[in-house]
Amino acid sequence: MSQSTTNLKQSERGDRFSGLIFCSPWIVGFVFLFAWPFAASFYWSLCRFDLINPPEFVGLENYRRLTSELQSQKGFGLALTNTLYYSLISVSLSVITGVLLATLLSAKVKGQAIYRTLVFLPSVIPIVAASVLWIWLLDPESGMINYLLSWLGIPSQNWLNQSRSALSPAGFTEFSQWLQGGTLNLFGSKDALILMTMWGVGNFVVIYLAAISDIPGQLYEAAEIDGANVIKKFYHVTLPMLSPVIFFNLIMGLIRSVQTFASVYVLSEGTGEPGGSLMLISMQLFLSAFADFEMGYTSAMAWVLFVLLLAATTLLFRTSKHWVHYRTSS
Amino acid sequence: MRKASRLSLYSALWLASAIFSLPLLLMLSGSLKTTEQLARNPYRLWPENIRWENYPVALESMPLLRYLGNTLILCTGCVIGTTLSCALIAYGLSRVRWGGRKYLFALVVGSMLLPWHVTMIPRFVLISELGLYNSFWAIIGPTFLGDAFFIFLLRQFFLTLPEELFEAGRIDGLSHFGLFWKILIPLSKPAIATVALFQFVQTWNDFSGPLLYLNDPQKFPLAYGLERFVSSYGDQTHLLLAASVLFTLPIVVLFFLAQRTFIDGISTTGIKN
Repeated sequence: MSQSTTNLKQSERGDRFSGLIFCSPWIVGFVFLFAWPFAASFYWSLCRFDLINPPEFVGLENYRRLTSELQSQKGFGLALTNTLYYSLISVSLSVITGVLLATLLSAKVKGQAIYRTLVFLPSVIPIVAASVLWIWLLDPESGMINYLLSWLGIPSQNWLNQSRSALSPAGFTEFSQWLQGGTLNLFGSKDALILMTMWGVGNFVVIYLAAISDIPGQLYEAAEIDGANVIKKFYHVTLPMLSPVIFFNLIMGLIRSVQTFASVYVLSEGTGEPGGSLMLISMQLFLSAFADFEMGYTSAMAWVLFVLLLAATTLLFRTSKHWVHYRTSS
Repeated sequence: MRKASRLSLYSALWLASAIFSLPLLLMLSGSLKTTEQLARNPYRLWPENIRWENYPVALESMPLLRYLGNTLILCTGCVIGTTLSCALIAYGLSRVRWGGRKYLFALVVGSMLLPWHVTMIPRFVLISELGLYNSFWAIIGPTFLGDAFFIFLLRQFFLTLPEELFEAGRIDGLSHFGLFWKILIPLSKPAIATVALFQFVQTWNDFSGPLLYLNDPQKFPLAYGLERFVSSYGDQTHLLLAASVLFTLPIVVLFFLAQRTFIDGISTTGIKN
């Protein structure tokens, strides 16, 4: 008895050693790439730091600057508003189009695989190549998009050369003036970015498709017996059954959209222009760190962003119990 | 199904496919036109006379082959780093029985929630202090320390393997490293291939890494090198498009070769939660 207990203990100690050995890359990685950076960036957010001279403690100065920029809608304030606009619209659009496209692509038709591939393919295109392509497609004079819009009777848009966005108070004014016979310059750079993002929605479609194929067929049969049509089946079966995946994609989409960087950088040639309209928070962070060398201020901004993101995620989790239906396993 | 609804279903499918593939077709056709053709008739899908010369010209006027070489070095390094480290770590978190593993796994999952913005500056300082700034190791090195998402993916897979095989290996006197090499790795090839594929694509596409850590144009990979030409080649759209096609093509080919792996990899990430 006691012999076997010591054996067990010994083997457990041996296993702890092996476990630590196998996990050692991660432990090193966690300490140097997460734990220390996490602590350092918090400390630097309370400092003035330019990478060359040692950090100088300044208390809450950086955070005060962020608050004042939030009020004046410059710097951080503008970046936050831009990011909010982009995130809200692109995430909600990607959920709506993602679910609708997946429903469409789950229809059992000949050539289903081809349709699916065509919708998915754009999402594997490298972001830099996609940006080069869209800069051309969105060109006010020779771009394809304006050409297609002209078929619908919509005048030429300035897209990447315009700071004003469609779904903004200024956009609404513009739209109402157009209805009264004025010109229409509605879509701006952020709308262009959203359009390009939506082109790559295939990633989400794939996840929805997998979830749809997991919905038990009996549910649809039962709904049919109850006399449900296509729309009712979508609303009462597909949508509730997809809600956990929608929730997951909402969170992933939010995190992804807040971190959007490469596309904005290429579209605005590293400036965040025109008129600061492509200055998303990640652009602002990059430029204030590596163009202005204000590491303290940048760290403070990153921390505020982190807290905001955490709050938004928590809020989504809180609301989720009202609309996410988890399948109860029986 | 009634004929009318069948018809509307097919038109919706056609419309969706057209919208998503049109930009790609335009990219391809635009890369085979002259500047003059592009200005006169940019929307014509089939160029009047196909100009293959755009490709050699693009290769000559931009150092794309050098960029490609750099991209391949980075991809190889990162794929080796990630598959090796993540497999080892995931083994330690799934098949080695020890008390700390659940806490460590919680840290792995938790680290995924931290946006890169927070760690950007300290990591930059660390890499510079180590003398790795402007070196490929700045980008390859961290992959040898594991990636939370890939560790998560591999751990979930390793947990599905039958314990009896490992038990049998133990009876044969295999150590943990023996079990890892002789039993786990051969059984996990598909999962490891998925991780390798995703890491390859990620490194191929990576823009912010080279932007942050490389400043010698001789070391630029395609993603970053191509961007450098966007502003200066504003009037040479046909060459930019040709370069973009060259940059995109390997990924598209890879996608068609490993379509299942791509799709399964993406959909499992959504379903697992």
